[in-house]
Amino acid sequence: MPSSLSLQGKLRGERPILLQGHERSLTQIKYNREGDLLFSVSKDHVVNVWFSHNGERLGTYDGHVGAVWTVDVNSTSTLLVSGSADNTAKLWDVSNGKCLKSWEFNTAVRCVKFSEDNKRVLLVTEPRMGYPATLQIFHVENGLTESVSSEPLADFHPEGSKITVAAWGPLDKYIVVGRENGSVALMDPETGKYISTNTVHELTLTDLQMSADRTYFITASKDKSAKIVETESLEVLKTYITDTPLNSAAIMPKVQEFVVVGGGQEAMDVTRTSSRQGKFECRFWHKILEEEVGRVRGHFGPINTIAIHPDGRSFASGGEDGYVRVHHFDDDFFSFKFQI
Amino acid sequence: MPVSATNWADEVDGEDQPQSFTDANGITTTIEYKTNEDGKKVKVTRRTQKKLIHDVVNKAAAARKKWPKFGKEKGKPAGPDSATTNVGDNIKLKLSSTGQIVQEVDEKHEAMKQQLQNKKILCRICKGDHFTTKCPYKDSLGMEDAGSSSTPAAEEAAPEEQQPGGKYVAPHMRAGAAGPKDRDSMREKRDEQPTLRVTNLSEDVTEADVSELFSRFGHMSRVFLARDRETNICKGFAFVSFTMREDAQRALEAIDGRGYDNLILRVEWAK
Repeated sequence: MPSSLSLQGKLRGERPILLQGHERSLTQIKYNREGDLLFSVSKDHVVNVWFSHNGERLGTYDGHVGAVWTVDVNSTSTLLVSGSADNTAKLWDVSNGKCLKSWEFNTAVRCVKFSEDNKRVLLVTEPRMGYPATLQIFHVENGLTESVSSEPLADFHPEGSKITVAAWGPLDKYIVVGRENGSVALMDPETGKYISTNTVHELTLTDLQMSADRTYFITASKDKSAKIVETESLEVLKTYITDTPLNSAAIMPKVQEFVVVGGGQEAMDVTRTSSRQGKFECRFWHKILEEEVGRVRGHFGPINTIAIHPDGRSFASGGEDGYVRVHHFDDDFFSFKFQI
Repeated sequence: MPVSATNWADEVDGEDQPQSFTDANGITTTIEYKTNEDGKKVKVTRRTQKKLIHDVVNKAAAARKKWPKFGKEKGKPAGPDSATTNVGDNIKLKLSSTGQIVQEVDEKHEAMKQQLQNKKILCRICKGDHFTTKCPYKDSLGMEDAGSSSTPAAEEAAPEEQQPGGKYVAPHMRAGAAGPKDRDSMREKRDEQPTLRVTNLSEDVTEADVSELFSRFGHMSRVFLARDRETNICKGFAFVSFTMREDAQRALEAIDGRGYDNLILRVEWAK
């Protein structure tokens, strides 16, 4: 299909695209499976969807009345689920912004994830005001045609440290959770019991992103390191140690064997130091050799979330500064070979 | 008499028709005539080349491109809206295999810190570790000494930091700052001769006085004292060109801030 947008050629491989659809700090960004859409959520209650190739905003999903913490899209890009501090999680029609379902909870929703088969969605709520943390699973198959149940398939009250991040394991056999005490754990989605745990970080986990085949995942932590952990054994495979607390880490699925990590000093400390000291850069690490290979600066606040285009040709970062920056890689990037 | 269609004036008008032709390389040249805001006719020639870029995209993704906009974007035309989408500065991702992502700016910053840490107070007159104003030889050596001490140290260190009651020195002018070196070199390119501007001279000053004041630092190629055209008295500033830049630099450092005829001289590089 011929590219109809003249801006596309101008933008590709050259200058980053700045998406200014949010008035407050970004909390999560996510590409859909093909990578043509980029979803962004922030503390300003709005869910935005953008065309990733040129930064055009396709639309907004309006309805939340609190900070939106998390978003996820199913693999066919038909359903979107978002979790918010207004104690609701909402299911949206991706194509037209219509809210299909709103689930009410006692506390804020911190993490939402579609299962690999698109049939279920897991939601993690915070422990707050006497309410315990819950991990609930809802049935959302055919969300567009039939009404979605308000009752969860499962409602677990996980013991121990608070869950900060969660994801489905390969073939939805497990739920992988990252917790506040720096540990990761495998949970049985049928019983809600932990199968195994491993403390991989010293401080709270801030991000957990699965590899394409879900056999391993990357974690980011406030202890200034990111780690690649094997899903089945929870064994740490690779460690990337940086000099700043990390808020996000992503695995490059194609083109180069890289991971991208980002963070920066705490937002509350930003005004005390210069932006250069803040270390608000996306850092590229060689996934296998554990060497840092490059940095991309641009944000003037900590980086809260990073996502990589599924074809590995661009990536996007969302920061505390309210901007999403979409970078398309140039030719040097594709031809780069790591010299040992 | 009716004007015929072949009138020469009409022929000129005929040229105003926009022309467009495409050459063998596929470059289209469009020539237009229009009237600019001054009422003058201008010819606008544009060369454009159309390039069709084929991009293979997923069928589902292609279908999604045709979705109408919704939410806050409802009804907006296709294409990025500059209100929400902008292009940032070009930030290149430089990949390196060395594992050392050095940030030269940070390093410079650190180097500066180091330099300032070891910095001691240095007297301009006797090079002792006290402020110039507190120098015991202030009266005996004074200006003469400052001129004659042509050690390279005088060039490097103008010990002005934190001088109580002293005049303000802009950060880039302070000793050790990386700034002035580059700036001066730029200036040097602009006019070959290093020229100083001397201001706050008293009315009684003559060209000879200025020459005398600066001659100790080196050979001067030109001394210009601004005088009032009618009264022929000094207007309070002068320009002094040196043949050697180093001399000029030393003169600047030594004379700037000095008292002369009850006035404090200001010396700076002429702009």
